[in-house]
Amino acid sequence: MPEPVNSRILGIGHYVPERVVSNDDLTKLMDTSDEWIQQRTGIHERHYISADGGPADLGARAARDALASAGVAASDLDLILLGTLSPDVDFPSSAALLQRNLGVRGTPVMDVRNQCSGFVYMLAVADKFIRTGGARRVLVVGAEVHSTGIDLSTLGREVAVIFGDGAGAVVLGPEADPQRGILSTHLHSEGKYAEKLMVEVPSSRMRPRVTEELLDQPGSRLWPRMEGRYVFKHAVNRFNEVIGEALAANGLTPADIDLLIPHQANLRISQLVAMGFELPEEKVFNNIQRYGNTTAASIPIALHEALESGRVRPGALVCLAAFGAGFTWAAALMRW
Amino acid sequence: MPASAVLGCGRHLPARRVTNAELARDLGTTADALETRTGITVRHHAELGFGPSDLAREAGLAALADAGLGPADVDLIVFATMTPDIAFPGSGCFLQDKLGCGTVGAIDLRAQCAGFLYALATADRFVRAGAAERVLVATAEIHSTALDYSPRAADVTPWFGDGAAAVVVGPASAPGVLAVVLHNDPTDLERFWCEFPASRHYPTRMNREAFDAGRHFYRFDADAVHPQAERALADVTAEALERADVSADRVALYLMHYVDPRVARRAAERAGLPADRVVATAEAAAHISSAGLPIALTDARASGRVRAGDLVCCAAFGAGMAWGAGVLRV
Repeated sequence: MPEPVNSRILGIGHYVPERVVSNDDLTKLMDTSDEWIQQRTGIHERHYISADGGPADLGARAARDALASAGVAASDLDLILLGTLSPDVDFPSSAALLQRNLGVRGTPVMDVRNQCSGFVYMLAVADKFIRTGGARRVLVVGAEVHSTGIDLSTLGREVAVIFGDGAGAVVLGPEADPQRGILSTHLHSEGKYAEKLMVEVPSSRMRPRVTEELLDQPGSRLWPRMEGRYVFKHAVNRFNEVIGEALAANGLTPADIDLLIPHQANLRISQLVAMGFELPEEKVFNNIQRYGNTTAASIPIALHEALESGRVRPGALVCLAAFGAGFTWAAALMRW
Repeated sequence: MPASAVLGCGRHLPARRVTNAELARDLGTTADALETRTGITVRHHAELGFGPSDLAREAGLAALADAGLGPADVDLIVFATMTPDIAFPGSGCFLQDKLGCGTVGAIDLRAQCAGFLYALATADRFVRAGAAERVLVATAEIHSTALDYSPRAADVTPWFGDGAAAVVVGPASAPGVLAVVLHNDPTDLERFWCEFPASRHYPTRMNREAFDAGRHFYRFDADAVHPQAERALADVTAEALERADVSADRVALYLMHYVDPRVARRAAERAGLPADRVVATAEAAAHISSAGLPIALTDARASGRVRAGDLVCCAAFGAGMAWGAGVLRV
């Protein structure tokens, strides 16, 4: 049996569609304002697709960059994970479509459907496969196309203004030094609040699952519903809890964190979490201003930008944390 | 590094049995024609308003009881389904609440008909890494609400049924999960898929044209997929036995999981497996994608066909095309 090792990120990439949609652009579709959106969410603009294309298509672009930066060929992958809450098709998995875009066959692939916590959940899964010798090269892709599934009328504005399309990818592999790479992962869920942030259909509880009245029209249950204040309050508490849990599990304190990358749900949530841990601005990475909330893709997009801008030095302690629909929440600590 | 084993299993089928005669009326054909086409005689349909997490709750409680455990002992849920309760969040979150587990992680996986094997492999890795000690692997499908009950679907609808099963995976002194081999080949995935709603369709996921064309129903090109399934199931069974370093004659029971039970049996024959030690999962209650294998495992233990210490080999093939096989000592 192989010696236990850590896993670490070998390469990273991200991709967002070219079309930029500003807050002012949205005011042409719905009754809202740039000031209202910025005040509540911190978002200035987001990216939307402008022609057919799903998470597997955006994800493939991010994945190719991640593979190239890792120096790993798609054919060398042992496992492909894709996280999304906006799958390309009903079934099979978006991971299968991604695999086809990457031109490989035979590799195990699966979707991990854990919403905003999806990327950290996938890191946990990939890490356990690598630590136990079950895989040596794992591709983890978070990818979303929200723009085809939001109500862009005034009725849907509370949710619609938040979300953006995008994809981020990392390649993970074994790390022999137990002090480096992913130190620990922490996963949680609380289904009591599942319907506080959801898309209800297609629902296997309904017969037929998809009916005429669910077609794209205002109020359709094909579109997300959110009780924003509820989600906000729980998010701040659970972020605090799970970051504290990850630090305690490694005998570390908030002062040891070199960079916190929170899931980009809402700039106000990230600011409250940072304040709670007394983290100065330079130790927290936010880019929701330019991308909106890209759910499963937000952390790898942010991590890639943080790396590119020199915010992560060798030896840095990086904390990834997420909270979102489910409710699910999760954290991962890694030493770069 | 600890080994992992299946500590308990349980299953749940909804009460309502639906015969071919009942389906034949809507599908514009006869019961005999349906059986000839599919090899399926009966399936179960869930009560309206129930979701996979409701069926999985029953199966999960049974599996936990079988392991001498309760919901409070679970430290991770891994849920595989292709017919989730709602679009999001995942069914694992609903199950966490319905079982009253603590605020444990609930990983929602999507690997269609091979979902159980993908979930089992994931649970095995968490246990072996020391990251979890009592993993509830839950599988459930409610296909009945997704299907088209009109003559154009006579070649698709009869194959599928509803049901759920769960296994508890935990540490063991001797390995109980000997090997799990997983694959996917997306080349011809449109031969077995459901296209809509589809986020990739610009500008909206569902539209009148797709709806009127019935593109939100399952499409299954059985004649094209059967030969691929037969080959893959035979090959992957041999691959898993080799990985587990187990000779074929030491295995007490082979569970072969595919929509058409006759194809599953042909695959077993092709692999040279003794017919009296093969179960084709779809024979009992049609094809229950993620749940078919653990349902068959639970039934084989209950009937005494598999006894404590026996080796069992589980193989699955389905949409994606995802397939795999696992060798377990129960």
